[in-house]
Amino acid sequence: MESGQHMLRTGRRGTLFEFSMALRDLVTSYHRRGLAWSLAWHDVVSRYRGSILGPFWITISMGLMVLGIGLLYAKLFGISVAEFMPYVAMGIVFFGLMAGTINEGCDTFVQASSMLSQTSLPMFTFIWRTVLRNLINLAHHAVIIVGVILVFGLWRVMDPFPALGGLLLTIVNLAWISMLAAIASARFRDIPQFVMSVMQFAIFMTPVFWKPDAFPDRHAFLTLNPFYHMLTTIRAPLMGQQADGLSYVILAIMAVLGWALTFSVFAITRRRIVHFL
Amino acid sequence: MTDVSIKVTDLTLRFPVYGVDAKSLKKNLARVTVGGRLGASNTGATEVTALSHLNLNLRAGDRLGLIGHNGSGKTTLLRALSGAYEPDEGQIEVRGRIAALLDLSLGIDPSATGVDNIRLRGRIAGMSSKEIEDKMDEIAEFSGLGPFLAMPMKTYSAGMQARLAFAVATAVEADVLLMDEWISVGDADFQKLAHRRLLNLVERAGILVLSSHDAGLLRLYCNKVMRLEGGVASEVKDIRRLDELLAAA
Repeated sequence: MESGQHMLRTGRRGTLFEFSMALRDLVTSYHRRGLAWSLAWHDVVSRYRGSILGPFWITISMGLMVLGIGLLYAKLFGISVAEFMPYVAMGIVFFGLMAGTINEGCDTFVQASSMLSQTSLPMFTFIWRTVLRNLINLAHHAVIIVGVILVFGLWRVMDPFPALGGLLLTIVNLAWISMLAAIASARFRDIPQFVMSVMQFAIFMTPVFWKPDAFPDRHAFLTLNPFYHMLTTIRAPLMGQQADGLSYVILAIMAVLGWALTFSVFAITRRRIVHFL
Repeated sequence: MTDVSIKVTDLTLRFPVYGVDAKSLKKNLARVTVGGRLGASNTGATEVTALSHLNLNLRAGDRLGLIGHNGSGKTTLLRALSGAYEPDEGQIEVRGRIAALLDLSLGIDPSATGVDNIRLRGRIAGMSSKEIEDKMDEIAEFSGLGPFLAMPMKTYSAGMQARLAFAVATAVEADVLLMDEWISVGDADFQKLAHRRLLNLVERAGILVLSSHDAGLLRLYCNKVMRLEGGVASEVKDIRRLDELLAAA
């Protein structure tokens, strides 16, 4: 009970009660969404304080990578630059969002330990903080996306609505993965290293820098990779192609099952998280 | 608010202490594979009982002082009242807006300017951005930092940092004020100012819970006192009987 005027904290009263308290945490975080936003914004500002270009430094380094890999791989694979450059650009930028949200998810609660142990702020606030922070970064990197869309004339062929749908589904999925990583990392300090290795592995296993043309459609190597679905549902429509409907379905199912799992884990561990830190 | 109240019923709080070992995943996986051999310790956590079967009833106008040795559970009780810790048993019910002034450095970013820190800290304390802007002048004036508010906090002396943190922390409109002892901040001038502000705050706040080792301070701010010892609370007594409780130590 968190109206700001009335606070009730009790011992365990059964599983149903734990779930209702977890739900209350979520609802409170929604009512105080301005706080999550302030924290996220402050994170970005403070990380790049004193730097003139700020988060655009990452944009520049991504842009360089896009240029380099775009030109080099286009030559190596014998694909036209006009086709490959925007492909790699979107791959790197959107995979950056995925890797960032998940990797930083590991720090979500650990970083907020002093606030969590002295205030009754909802825990979901800190999850949103991590997600929002990465979306703010994405907004900077969008310069690259807009750039390739203009330079290579993709605005003539692209279909923004399915891409936005894909982005939305991706964010919903990233949020639960990030939260699961946050809870697990609070308890087990090996998890951040583990997650980082997985994400490093994933960037090569996912068609970020390469085209999956060598695989037949719906090959298990791609279908079993969640990052492939996230990336393709955003990228294909922006490139003027159609993403496989199956990818949207898989993302939607993943979102439902993933949130069910994460929310259950949260409901069960919620009381303990502050003690893990 | 007239129905400001704190009601703590049979509160027991245990801290699981996750040993350095237990925090490594490998150890936990190893534990799964070796199964029952470890028997009773299979949760991997030792529990420390920080508060046990504590009862407390406070109404508007009550200003409770908490005394007790280090580690007796004073801060834990304050944190539980602020809503950070969930009870293992029993119940905590607080009516009224809570302001917990437990740690002056909470939410302070040393590389941000004074003004930015006022905003951030205010947001964490539950103020809206409009409330903060409305109070900005008052906070700035009280802190007495003038042009330094536009400088990063890391350029402040410890006393200046304390001034700013204190100014923001006490700007919150609260019905229930929870304080750990840190009132002695800043120079003599500031202490006088701080004292007046605290008295003012205490008058406005319906309930104060203050933890301190300083008997003079407790007599100054409180009208009731409770002693904690090893997580067990004495009964709440009138402040005039503080000596009895201290003598029992």
